[in-house]
Amino acid sequence: MKTKKLMSILVLILIISIAYETYNISLSQFKLSDTNSSYLGGLTWSRSLDASLEKARQENKPVAVYFWAIWCQYCAKFQSDTLGNPQVKEILEKDYVLVAMDLDIDRDAARKYGVSYPPYVLFLDGNDKVLERVPGAVDANYFLPVVTRVRDQVRSK
Amino acid sequence: MLTLGNVILYASLAISVAAIAGLLLKDLKNNNILNRLVTPAIIAVAGLLTFAYLLLTYYFVTGDFTYEYVWQYSSRDLPLIYKLSGTWAGQPGTYLLWVWVIFLSAAWLAQTTKHATPLARRTQIITLAIGAYFIVLTLIQTPFQSIYELAEVPLGFVPPDGSGLNALLINFWMIVHPPLMFIGYATMTIPFAAAIVYLLTKEDGWEELGRQWARFTWLILGMGIAVGGVWAYVVLGWGGFWAWDPVETASFIPWLTLTGFMHAAALHRKNKTTFSVAAPILAAVTFILIIYAAIVVRSGLFNSVHAFGDTSTGTLLIDLILITGAVSLILGMKRYLEEPEKIEEDPGFWSKTNIFYITLLLFAILAFISFWGITYPVFIQLTQGIKVNVASDTKNFFNVWSYPFTILLLLALGFCLNYKESKKEAQKKTLFIVAGLSIISMFLRTDTFYVLDHSSPFWTNEPPIYKMIGSISVISIFPSMIYATAAILQYCSGYLKLSNMRVKIKGIGIAIIHIAVIFTLIGAIISSNFTYTNERINMPLEAKGILLNVGDGYGIKVVDFSTRSLTEETYPGTAIADVLADPSSVEGKTVTISGKITNTNPIEGHGTLVELTDKSGSMWVVFQSENITLPENLGLTVTGSILSGFDNPVLSPIEVDEFDTSGKYQLQSVQLEVYQNDRKIGSGAAEYLQGKGGSGTFPMIDPSLTLLGGDVYVIFQGISGGTLPLTLKIVPAVNFAWIGIILFAVGIIMVMAVKSKPKGRY
Repeated sequence: MKTKKLMSILVLILIISIAYETYNISLSQFKLSDTNSSYLGGLTWSRSLDASLEKARQENKPVAVYFWAIWCQYCAKFQSDTLGNPQVKEILEKDYVLVAMDLDIDRDAARKYGVSYPPYVLFLDGNDKVLERVPGAVDANYFLPVVTRVRDQVRSK
Repeated sequence: MLTLGNVILYASLAISVAAIAGLLLKDLKNNNILNRLVTPAIIAVAGLLTFAYLLLTYYFVTGDFTYEYVWQYSSRDLPLIYKLSGTWAGQPGTYLLWVWVIFLSAAWLAQTTKHATPLARRTQIITLAIGAYFIVLTLIQTPFQSIYELAEVPLGFVPPDGSGLNALLINFWMIVHPPLMFIGYATMTIPFAAAIVYLLTKEDGWEELGRQWARFTWLILGMGIAVGGVWAYVVLGWGGFWAWDPVETASFIPWLTLTGFMHAAALHRKNKTTFSVAAPILAAVTFILIIYAAIVVRSGLFNSVHAFGDTSTGTLLIDLILITGAVSLILGMKRYLEEPEKIEEDPGFWSKTNIFYITLLLFAILAFISFWGITYPVFIQLTQGIKVNVASDTKNFFNVWSYPFTILLLLALGFCLNYKESKKEAQKKTLFIVAGLSIISMFLRTDTFYVLDHSSPFWTNEPPIYKMIGSISVISIFPSMIYATAAILQYCSGYLKLSNMRVKIKGIGIAIIHIAVIFTLIGAIISSNFTYTNERINMPLEAKGILLNVGDGYGIKVVDFSTRSLTEETYPGTAIADVLADPSSVEGKTVTISGKITNTNPIEGHGTLVELTDKSGSMWVVFQSENITLPENLGLTVTGSILSGFDNPVLSPIEVDEFDTSGKYQLQSVQLEVYQNDRKIGSGAAEYLQGKGGSGTFPMIDPSLTLLGGDVYVIFQGISGGTLPLTLKIVPAVNFAWIGIILFAVGIIMVMAVKSKPKGRY
């Protein structure tokens, strides 16, 4: 009886430490989004579409709206391969206003723009006009020319 | 509104409450007033619920869209089999299925035991109470809800068609998967009830009463999970059969604890004092985790591809978890404290019960890892409003933490199966050697064979502890695996020599189940580590018939590409030929026709003539405006009256609507041949289905006929811009997993087939 009690206590300690450790790892390293921002593909995205459109008007930048979902396996790939591509990342960071829409939460926005599945990137100008749509987990070779073109299109206005 | 189905449910509730009352009177006051009626009452409820389910099925088959549930999950154009499977496509229907099976098992319990013993009676009371609770749930989210209860629907309106079934659910595997899961959930009720009675009153025979039910649940639930895996493999294009999706993980957790329970029960039935708390607690935990799985499937809180979310009865399910959890915990604690201190000599660490106890703990740890991994992100989200991931790549979390305990479990398997007190020292020695080899082989270096894939882009982002465990060589699984296999073979050969058929069959069954573990593990490990993947191959449509090199020595030829509607095109309204055949029949009345636009013809000063064509014929419709542009092939539904004075009838519209000509389910299909070094290695069709609620991919799978060989697996994501985007995978050793799954089923069926030994043997 004593042996079993001891083993049970050890296992209890073990699972509590695993639980504690993983909980903290997630909070410190794998935060995907909080109230104001989302952290996807190494970029910080705003969660407010209206504020971002306002900001885009002021700074004369295009808006990149990224529709994602936590359960979407292709999104994880898209984030690490495409958004994580250094050139893509640089352009997005410098020349775009970034917004992330969570398909589990921002369903109205998805409906408004006719987005039905993740990943999906929409490019808007400050006046909420859709400039370009990129549905699906495209690779960086496809994505890079699009971000370059949309940026130049807005700049030239 | 009181629909027939709901009346049946209310009646079932009333009768089952009466049956509970009857049993309670007998049990507490030894009052027999209602006792004679209890068995017929329970059978009546089972009959009523059977009728209710058949009624729902009837509504689906006939397409009675005045029921919201039918309207939501079915449509006229669905083939019959999907109308039938629509009954379990949503929460209300699955509750009905669940409660129906609970009462079928209650009826069986009543029929076989006649409630003759206090144990049977009390088990029945708990079973019925849970059953009644589920009737209430079914009533709250009833499949028999009439659409007229929805505010915006005027009385008497009959929807012409339902909104259809989610495209992902349209395939054979989704016909079988949900009923298996929910039947498995329901049949766990009796073992749970018996365990609670045992904790409460220490009644003997509880394990025997629930034994076949537990085994049956284990089989059905296991097969449900397996079918889910097959579905993921052949439909979702995951390229594997297990992806640690929250919902599939959630159903795996109770299966793990149930496996633990069956191991505990095996020892408990030989000696009542062994695992007298652990066994019933594992049964109770299994039941609680089943309710938890049901919440995970439907709540929409869990971030899953399964999110067919709905929460209105979620709180009631959580209440049920809290109630059963608290009861089990209190009773378990009480039972534990009452346990008399054993006077017998402490046999030390190395005893059969201790080693078995480690096995139980390992099952509990594995269950906890799965439970924790799907639960704490939701907990963080609910308490702090922050979304987190469990690892850079979700599956890494589960693989990293489960791996070491899987090795321990294999070691325990190898050690326990043939454990003999007399050979203890020699057996210990073998165990230590194998354990040593396992540890040494963890450090072997290979190109790719690690717990985590080092070449994956997620690898670099994983935290140090995951990288540490992730760097363990998977070669380390083999010493324990070989050890376990040898033990199983030895165990099996021991039973093969026996002459007693019953004992022999049971022993071989148990051996087969354990071999199944090995097969499934090999399949999982090899297939997930050695799958070749080439993503985003873009095959131009013009290249039809030409073999294109897609890299790494592989070539693909598109043999054919076609698009068709899965179901027949339907044109709402009257067939055009009928109108043309007898225009006088509709004269002075309005008529509705539908068709695709095949011609437009502006007439100056008068408007525009538009020709609509359906399957039966074509007809002109006149629009008042001259400068309208309507694209050819657009589908229109027009209600109006026939203008007289023309050679051919012309329709003057009152109301015009667009309709979807393509049908609800559009299937793109590409016929492929796959070559390796100019040798054909596979062929078949990869398909892409678009329909309600999104799309489904049906990869081309040309299965390998050898054990280790690779399935040729091509995912087609739907045509875009004249190219066919394809992903080629070569998935090896999946056949091991399929064989493992079949062996699991064969083994447990053999064990179940052997009748329990006559009572009083112990």
